[in-house]
Order: sequence, then structure tokens, then C-alpha cells
Amino acid sequence: MTDPHFIRVKDVAKTYVTGATEVEAVAHVDFDVAEGEFVSILGPSGCGKSTLLMMCAGLEPASEGAIAIGGKPVSGPRREFGLIFQDATLLPWKSALENVLFPIEMMKLDKSAYRARAIGLLEQVGLGDFLAKRPSELSGGMRQRVAICRALIHDPSVLMMDEPFSALDAITRDEMNEALARIWETQRKTGLFVTHSIREAVFLADRVLVMSGRPSTIALDFRVPFARPRRPELVEDPEFARICAMLKRTIEDGYGRAGKTAA
Amino acid sequence: MTDATLPEAGSSADLIRARKAERIARARKAKTLAVFKHVGLPILTALTVLLAWEIVVDLNGIPKVILPAPSDIAERVWSIRALLYKNAISTTTEAVAGFAIATALGVGLATALVYSSWLRAALYPNVVFFQLIPKIALAPLFIVWLGIGAESRLTFAVFISFFPVVVATITGLSNVPADMLRLCRALTASNWQIFWAVRFPYALPHLFSGMKIAITFAIIGVVVGEFITANKGLGYLIMFASSMAETTTILASISVLCAIGLGLFGLVTLAERVVLKAYGHKAA
Repeated sequence: MTDPHFIRVKDVAKTYVTGATEVEAVAHVDFDVAEGEFVSILGPSGCGKSTLLMMCAGLEPASEGAIAIGGKPVSGPRREFGLIFQDATLLPWKSALENVLFPIEMMKLDKSAYRARAIGLLEQVGLGDFLAKRPSELSGGMRQRVAICRALIHDPSVLMMDEPFSALDAITRDEMNEALARIWETQRKTGLFVTHSIREAVFLADRVLVMSGRPSTIALDFRVPFARPRRPELVEDPEFARICAMLKRTIEDGYGRAGKTAA
Repeated sequence: MTDATLPEAGSSADLIRARKAERIARARKAKTLAVFKHVGLPILTALTVLLAWEIVVDLNGIPKVILPAPSDIAERVWSIRALLYKNAISTTTEAVAGFAIATALGVGLATALVYSSWLRAALYPNVVFFQLIPKIALAPLFIVWLGIGAESRLTFAVFISFFPVVVATITGLSNVPADMLRLCRALTASNWQIFWAVRFPYALPHLFSGMKIAITFAIIGVVVGEFITANKGLGYLIMFASSMAETTTILASISVLCAIGLGLFGLVTLAERVVLKAYGHKAA
């Protein structure tokens, strides 16, 4: 029995006070995410989408409104969340395997009990031969794959990703999207994925929330019609291209044509 | 355009092999030259200066009380080796103890300042301000407070080598990527866990640069202490020899002091290499 309102974001706003002025970064955002659903939050840089994610993760307080996950209000970080950031943020002195086990260490759980799972996850993202390598010996894409495994090691119920592939080149990025789609289809977490790449948002998600304006609100809640598993060829589908073009127009409209004021 | 510069089809494999051998030979030669340039050349320069010193003293018949030749100094080091050894042990022990205490206190204070914003606001500007004071001028105060024994020299050595450790460690502990700390918070790790598992290892390169400054400062502190406590150590020996116009003994003591300084700095650098390599930091 899956909960259709597993994540409830109700009328959430975030304002920053700088000196005498108050800057509204996120204004009155409302959405629900069903259990096991993968939702992309799409918008241009600086639109407050990362702030929204950090509020969901309990790492930043909301100025107004309420967020509840699994029926309980989010008042701080929870161990049932797995996080992936823009940079892999691996510890340079630990091997790939030890980095994946880092959350277990921080949670003071028995590392040996999770070793097999860690190796399994790394094998699943094609790093089976790199368990003992340090981050400096891995490519950018490999490092981010280690970060994905690290986020999944403690079997969290929600995976929260803050532009995880935006620091990678376009080719690696496509590879990572496919790797994430594959691993997500076997793990089936609830996913929140913040990105400014339209292709990426559509390829990975069941739903795309387009954020616009500043203070930002949700301009469009779009259900992606493609079946799973998602194949790499999906991006060549004319329907895929049509959806991307439609989302691009929505973003541009929300921002008055890429920042220009509509006279 | 002719094909004259291109190899003939039959000999191309040989030619490729020959070119490869040539490239390897060239790279090897470049490496030998680089070793000579960065290791051989500085040593050669130093030896040349010593030789020039020797010749100038010999040719001009400069009296030993003004400037003894390097060979005289070497001879003196050997003839008073027991005296030098005894005092060198005292100086080294106090410098190492001062350095160790300064490092422990420095890391402790830095940690407190990084974790408490109130403490940081209250103390850090003053720590930085204290850096600017010519601390050697305060040395006589330590004699007033602590007498002419080892306590006074040790305390002064700690006092002057402590600040570089604090400043470097604070920089290092604050050097952790913001997302790394966010990840730790998301994992509900305690401050204690974050410190030992993340912050401290990240601070190591900075800590070691602070420690390298601290070890040289600790030696300076002890020697200055010895100058003014006039009780024991190489600094005391230098002052004593100076009062007797024994220039050769002064320079003999200074040579030993240089060797100690070099040795201790070398040990810290070695420890730095080993630790930073183990922690996957790029060698500083």
C-alpha cells in the first residue's frame, strides 16, 4: 500500500532577511509526492529550487508553511533521507568502498553488516573493480557514482539530489542519468531531484515540477508519460523532444523570456 | 613537395623503435639535469662560499677572533664535542618539549574557537593581534615571572611557537567543503564524530604548515631564553664564548644549532609527508 501523500509540502515559503530588506526566495510552494515516485524539480540557476530541497531534507528551516514526510513533520535531518550533492564530496583519504560505508560509520552501525551491500551497490554502477581506489584515482563520473551508492547504503526511504550531475560534462552526464535510472528502478525509493537540465528532468522522473519566477512558485506540475524501465533511446523519441520543448517554453514564460522583461 | 623526409615502408618499424629509444634517452638526460639543478647546484653553491671563506681568511691573515676559517670551526666542533653535546641535548629537549606543548595547546584552542562562535569573537582578533607583537621583546618578563630555569625557557618557547599552530589549525578546520558538513548533519552525526572523522583530517595539511613554523620558532624561543637566563644550552654557550672573545666557539655552537634546526625541521617534514600521503592529501 503506497501512500499518495508520502511527501507533503504545504504552502512553504523561504525568506532571507538581509539588512533592512527581506528577500523572498521561495513563495508558497504546494505539492505532494507519492511513495516510490520520482519527481524532478526543474528551474534555472538561482530560482530557489535547491533551497526547497534543503528544507525538505530538514537542513534549513522553512520560513512559512509545513513539510511532512511519511506523516511526520520535518523538523531536522532524518536518517531515512539519502542525499547527493552537486560535488561528490567524498573523503579523499578513504577508498570508494569506505566512502560508501561512511554513513554507516557516522550512524554508529555495524560496518561489517553493510559491506556486502556496499560492494553490491558499487558493482551495480560498474565500479566493482574500483572498490579500493581513492577518489583522486577516479574520474568525476565515477566519484559521483560512489556518492550515489553512499546515499543508498543505509536504505533510505527518500533520495534527495541537488543538481548531482551539473558539474559533469555532457557525455558523462548522459551516462550518469542512465546509471541513476537503472539503480533507481531496482531500489524504488521516493526521489526528489533538483536540476536545471530539462532533458535530465524528463528522462529520470515520473513528474516534473517547473519552478519559475523569483520568489519562485511551481508554474507547472507535469506527469511524464513514458514507461519504465527508461532506455537510453528514449531521448530520440519525438514525443520526448516535444515535451522538452514545451517545458522550455514554460520556463521562459515564467521568466519573461530568459530574464528579459515582457514589454 | 617530396616524400624524402618520410621513412621507407620497409624500415618504418625500426625507425619507430629508434625514435622511441631516443625519446627515452632524452627524458633520462633531462631528469639527470633536473636532479643536478635542484640538488647538486645548491650544495655546490654552499661549498663554493665555504671555500671562498676559507681562502679569504687564509690569504688575508684575518685573526681568528674576528673570523675563523670553516676548517677552524670544524676542528673546534670536534675538540669541544663533549661540551657541545651536553648543551645541545638541553637545547634540543627544551625545543622539542616546547614545540609539542605548543602544538597540543594550539590545536586545542583552535578547536574551541572553531566550535564556539562567541569564544572566537572574543579571542580570535586578539590572537591575530598578538601575532604582530615582537614577542622576543617579552622574553625578559618570563625571567621575572619564572626565574632562570628550564620552566622559563620552555614557557617562552611555547609562547612564541603557539600562535602559528592556532592560526593554521583554524584555517584548516574551517577548510571542509560546505556540502561535506551538510552531509554529516544530514546523517545526524555528532560534533565529536564530525571533528575526528572529517574536520581534523581535512585540517592536516594546514596543521603541518603551522607545525613547520612552530618547530623553528620553538628553537628560536629556547635560544633566546638561553641567552638571557645564562644557565645552560647552546645559546648560553654562545653568550659565554662571546664574553671570552672565543669567536671560534661561538661559530662552532652556531653550526651545531643549525644542524639541530635542520634535523628537527626535517623530522616534521618527514612526518608531514607520511601523514599527508596516508590521508590522500596532495603533498604540500
